[in-house]
Amino acid sequence: MLKYLLKRLGSTVLILFGATLLSFVIMINTGDPLADLREMQSDNVEYLMQERIERMGLDQPWYIRYWDWLSGILGCFGGSCDFGTTMTGAQVTPVIMAAAEQSLRLVFVATIAAIVIGVLTGIVTAMRQYSLLDYLVTFFIFLFWSLPVFWAAVLAKEWLAIRYNDWMMEPHFTWTNILVLATILAIFVPMVLGGNAKRRLITGGIMFAFVCAVLPWMNAVNFMTHPRLGPVIILIGSLMLAAGFTALIAGIRNRRVLYSGLTVVALGMVAYYATWNLLQDPPGGWLFLGAMFVLTIAICVVIGRSMGGHARGQATAVSVLTGALMSGMILLDHFMYHWPGLLSAKPRPVSTIGSHTPTLDENFWVTALDQMTQLWLPSVLMALLSLATYTRYTRSSMLEVQKQDFVRTARAKGVTERTVILKHAFRNAMIPLVTIVAFDFAALISGSIVVEQVFGWNAMGNVFITGMQTNDPAPVMAFILVTGSVAVLFNLLADILYAVLDPRIRV
Amino acid sequence: MSLMNILAMQPDIEDIAEEAEGTGEGFSTAPLVVLGIALAILLSYALVKFFINRARGGLPEVDTSAVVHPAEFETDTALRFEDVKVSFATEFGTVDAVKGVSFDIKPGEVVAVVGESGSGKSVTSSTAMGLMADNAKVSGRVFLDGKEVTNISPAKLRSLRGDEIAMVFQEPMTALNPVLKVSDQLVEALQVHNKAFGREALAQAVRLLAEVGIPDPEKRIHEYPHQFSGGQRQRIVIAMAIACNPKMIIADEPTTALDVTVQAEILDLMRRLKDDLNTGILLITHNMGVVADMADRVVVMFQGEVVESGPVNKILLEPEHAYTKRLLEAMPTLGEANIEVNEPTPAEGEDSAMPSVDPEAELHLEAKDLALAYKNKGRSTRVVEGVNFAVARGEILGLVGESGSGKSTVAKAVLGLLEVEEGELLVRGQNLPKLPRAQQKALRREIGVVFQDPAASLDPRFPIGEIITEPMVVHKVGTPKERTARAEELLDAVKLPRTVINRYPHELSGGQRQRISIARAMALSPSILIADEPTSALDVSVQARVLDMFAELQEQYDFACLFVTHDLAVVDQLADQIMVMEKGRVVEQGRKEQILRSPREDYTKRLLAAAPVPHPEEQRIRREARRELLASQGLRRD
Amino acid sequence: MSNDQTPEQQNTDQDQQMVDLAEVEDTKLEEKSKHSYSQGQLIRRRFFHHKPAIISLIMLGAVIILAFSSIGFGAVPGWWDKHYQATGSIVDGGRPMMFQDGNFLGEHPFGQENVGRDYFAMVMRGAQQSLIVAFVTAVVSSIIGIALGAIAGYFRGWTESIIMRLTDFVIVVPTLVFAAMLGHIAGGSVVMLGVLLGCATWTGMCRLVRAEVLSIREKEYVSAAVAMGASPARIITKHMIPNSIGVIIVNATFAFVTAILLETTLSYLGMGVQRPEVSLGLLIEQYQNAFSTRPWLFWFPGLFIIIIALAGNFIGDGLRDAFDPRQRRSGDSRPSIAGVLGLRGVQRAFRPKSDVGMPAAGGSGGAQLPAGQNDPHGDAKRFGRKK
Repeated sequence: MLKYLLKRLGSTVLILFGATLLSFVIMINTGDPLADLREMQSDNVEYLMQERIERMGLDQPWYIRYWDWLSGILGCFGGSCDFGTTMTGAQVTPVIMAAAEQSLRLVFVATIAAIVIGVLTGIVTAMRQYSLLDYLVTFFIFLFWSLPVFWAAVLAKEWLAIRYNDWMMEPHFTWTNILVLATILAIFVPMVLGGNAKRRLITGGIMFAFVCAVLPWMNAVNFMTHPRLGPVIILIGSLMLAAGFTALIAGIRNRRVLYSGLTVVALGMVAYYATWNLLQDPPGGWLFLGAMFVLTIAICVVIGRSMGGHARGQATAVSVLTGALMSGMILLDHFMYHWPGLLSAKPRPVSTIGSHTPTLDENFWVTALDQMTQLWLPSVLMALLSLATYTRYTRSSMLEVQKQDFVRTARAKGVTERTVILKHAFRNAMIPLVTIVAFDFAALISGSIVVEQVFGWNAMGNVFITGMQTNDPAPVMAFILVTGSVAVLFNLLADILYAVLDPRIRV
Repeated sequence: MSLMNILAMQPDIEDIAEEAEGTGEGFSTAPLVVLGIALAILLSYALVKFFINRARGGLPEVDTSAVVHPAEFETDTALRFEDVKVSFATEFGTVDAVKGVSFDIKPGEVVAVVGESGSGKSVTSSTAMGLMADNAKVSGRVFLDGKEVTNISPAKLRSLRGDEIAMVFQEPMTALNPVLKVSDQLVEALQVHNKAFGREALAQAVRLLAEVGIPDPEKRIHEYPHQFSGGQRQRIVIAMAIACNPKMIIADEPTTALDVTVQAEILDLMRRLKDDLNTGILLITHNMGVVADMADRVVVMFQGEVVESGPVNKILLEPEHAYTKRLLEAMPTLGEANIEVNEPTPAEGEDSAMPSVDPEAELHLEAKDLALAYKNKGRSTRVVEGVNFAVARGEILGLVGESGSGKSTVAKAVLGLLEVEEGELLVRGQNLPKLPRAQQKALRREIGVVFQDPAASLDPRFPIGEIITEPMVVHKVGTPKERTARAEELLDAVKLPRTVINRYPHELSGGQRQRISIARAMALSPSILIADEPTSALDVSVQARVLDMFAELQEQYDFACLFVTHDLAVVDQLADQIMVMEKGRVVEQGRKEQILRSPREDYTKRLLAAAPVPHPEEQRIRREARRELLASQGLRRD
Repeated sequence: MSNDQTPEQQNTDQDQQMVDLAEVEDTKLEEKSKHSYSQGQLIRRRFFHHKPAIISLIMLGAVIILAFSSIGFGAVPGWWDKHYQATGSIVDGGRPMMFQDGNFLGEHPFGQENVGRDYFAMVMRGAQQSLIVAFVTAVVSSIIGIALGAIAGYFRGWTESIIMRLTDFVIVVPTLVFAAMLGHIAGGSVVMLGVLLGCATWTGMCRLVRAEVLSIREKEYVSAAVAMGASPARIITKHMIPNSIGVIIVNATFAFVTAILLETTLSYLGMGVQRPEVSLGLLIEQYQNAFSTRPWLFWFPGLFIIIIALAGNFIGDGLRDAFDPRQRRSGDSRPSIAGVLGLRGVQRAFRPKSDVGMPAAGGSGGAQLPAGQNDPHGDAKRFGRKK
């Protein structure tokens, strides 16, 4: 298997090398880097031209210029990367590093959101094939596939950022808002949950009542400016999660699984109070939070495995899922706690330019909140694009797998429909999906160029477009190399995942 | 334990956090400490678990004899069908697949449902499991041990499936989930019905594997399905089916996809389990030999209706209905073979390596020391070695072997689909692979071909007329008018109406398509015909018709033929010479009478002994003979 | 072995005479209606039953006719009198006049932009340009993709390795980036831009055609053709490409959609169609900041892109269903309204009966088509022995 992975890695690295060579040749042969100087009327134009020709090596043959560039890059293996200089003599390396951090954050968030939501939607639509939900989702998928991302981005900027900011000046839900939202959810939620007509009516009614109760409550407590989940909601939410996952994965009658989920909830509540002060200013920032998360998962695994008895696997799944989502809720509570802090520093929370607010000098949570408010619109837009792909492929892959003989064997064993979907069909359906991840990543990079442009991010997209407009090879090549390398890594990840999912290629 | 850890870690982290702040550096070690704690928790858990396991010892010991219990019944019928009707709604209207079927199966009895494609035998049985396609409409009633299963809730039906009624499927290669270990899949079957859990279930699963004859089950249970052979996978599926001691087992063509020797072993296994389990077995098959081997009673179905049913002896030996008679007649017959155990291999003067051919005969096809290999990315794997044969004009050479024997590879090489690595391949005296391209093409006129799969051997986008005349177009023979005339002539020869000429392959049935294939092969009146399992995908009666037609055409055109098949009976009916292959090598070759009546090699004897015959008594004798034969060859496991 | 051994068979009554499956099948074949459906006719039939696709086809046709007939194309004049570059006085703040004051179109149906140019003419011109680029791109990318895919699939070996490594480029370099670099060369010509974009987007088609050819290669009718001495050219053009036509047409449709989005995106970023020429993407870029003051300048070009792309996607989906019914559960038609709304158990609506034979096309969920002549387990081996 290692041999297989190395072979795959080797071939993609070789393709990356070929791609840089090809791009470089196209780049230096298709535009005139002296264009702006030629139009200049100044006296020292001759001198400026000569200087630029020297600096960019325009008088050298292409292979020498490529080698110069490549040797700078190869320095990366020696620890000192050099992405060359722009036509004006500025170093590209620091620029691209700063840009890469912002762009990759955007792409990663969008990818993960798209995969999680897309795969879930795909499974639900496959289970409810030919239902109204299926048709609606299919229509929206086609709509997303047909949506020019720049157009959608402008629209989102106007409606979700500017109008939202206006509303945040005086946040209050009117009764019209509440009723419309309640009606929409009362129709949509039963569609996802399914069941017969009676059950749908009941879930719809509950949903309607729920929204009609919650939104006025939010108005009353000024939720939009001073949001809090608080321990009570966290507790209730986690208990529901524990019970829900148990019902979904093992069936609610399986006491051992239920108890392990409940134990996780109890421990989580203890941890919520115990870590509150510590987390006010987490040492190490995101890394610390990440480590805490790993710790949580480790504890959940131990709980699941030691309490689960014969249903060990299911208990572990329930406790890990409960633990993960509960830590998510706790994290959300911390963010909410600091939301007024952000509002006081930045009264219009979602600004439409840049990836963060440079003037902001606040604690970890407020800085993070600021980045998130800036990040959410671009990432939602990009996620929408790949969401459609993941949903569609998951759906058809699930439908394909459900026709296979081994699914019939599982049914003949008397396995519940839930287990057939989650255990037998899902894993097999994921195998073809893994290959899409690699291709989709490149599409997301394309999307990020456009979205960054609309939202005025000074990131990778900008580096690329400026380079293209001025016919400057160094920034463009830096863009290609960085995104290409990440794509190679993604590809490797996909290959590993492939091998994990499919025992037949693990030799 | 975990609670302690959370509480205990609290002060540590705060200390470290303060420390980190004290240094004033941006970098903090706190995340690493937290990660360390996580690792420590996992490690200590693993250690504790390890020691507990060691203290408990290995798998719990349970009495082996308890794996399979006889099923207990409340009524005297295991399964009863009452006027079952099934129809399917399709794109082009409703199709009645089963038109009112009633029969029953008693505990400990094997009832075989026999019929050809479209008889509705599989559909009938799946009504008992409730595993119907969404577009099916079922009426009538099915009782499982007195309980009606056609009107109970899906949840109740689900709890019956696998527990009281189990199923064995046709295709062992795809019946197991490829991404789950065998242990997972077997344990699941036990856990779903609360038979056993965790380690106990695993131990039970291991014993089940041992029961169905998987060697080294403790180790192999942790492997994935693709690491098992087809026969072994079918054994695993059977293990799954008997896991909960069901009252009823439905076996849907359980041996059809297997080689004949493996089929015999699986049938042996099922017979043994039948005696231990006392379950009712519904055996769906098209093979009268399997029926004779296994069944107590037989139900014959045709076009969705039961045409005849009764005890096996009556149905097979004194059939009443015309269809049953026709079915039995259509089965190719294998002459009485002498597979005596102790008969010493006669070393006669004849050289078994070179077939005896009349030197006067006109040799059309000849292979000398043929070696063939598949090339994959520069590496070539030898699959066939040292093959010699000669086929004279008007003669048929039957090439027999099981899957993987290389018999089809030889056919491919003659067709030019595979390069010859060593040796000579003479077509009408010329070494075909070594000829220049143009002459090779010219010589290809002399070779016609019929393949196995009727669904894939005709281009779906060509009308039948163009398919038949394609060889003429390729070799630029005749005007369009002459070609049409020839196509009509050939359609007459294969007894299909001339109107078919403008139809498309998807409108024809498998047997009809196979006849079109033969017509195409005959288009240029070739002197050599390669037939690669031409009838093995066809129903018995259709096969009989195609074989008759084949014999007629051979008489008419007098071609030399290489007939590849796994079926000794078909060869017995058609061939003049026989060549038996195993694992890429020729085991035995010679005149048909010599190979089939007095085989010399052990493998040929095993092959002959494994083929079941549609006569219950005779089959019982043959079964005993096979058992003795295997024992004498040292191959018997039990 | 043959029929004449059973004399009593002739004596039995009519129903029992047909006891031979082969006979039953032959009789069915004789009885079949005279009309014969080819694969193509079956596909057309299925496509015309796909309502979203038919609606989309009409929509797309309407947009194309509107775009080319209104302002004319090349030397041919259209029925709309205003030129897309002619400025004029601004009427009513440049608001759209469609359906206003009892007029159908009015003076400026889509309004005017800031220097008084007629926005309808501009959007029509933009749609023309975008359609041309997308069409040329789809054609060029399909031709390259089909040729290379068929070659890679048929010849295998090092040819295949090289071509497939080329297609892997899109994993590493995003299509948009590659297209932007190539688009640089095009200068002002939209046809040239289309050709170059085609050179950047052929990889998808190439992969699919290769996969298809690889599977057709294993089919026995191809083996039969090779064995009878047919040339590679004949096999590729007569057997392989016609049998992958479904994949080709469906993906050419999707390539058209991708191309129109790619072109508008490039133009939006300033790297596709260049001013003073207009394209839908360019119009959006130009007027995106007017969103709060003159939103129609932003809406109209965007809606046209969406209509074209959405129609393309639905047509592609309809074609896929028609060519490859595997995606749909074979046999069943889509359920009625009641079924969709979750009111199960209510009788499903099925299509009326017809005299068309059952298509046996490539294992379309054969297990659900149990009756008639198609053995669901067609590859079953049969064993026989003497009586």
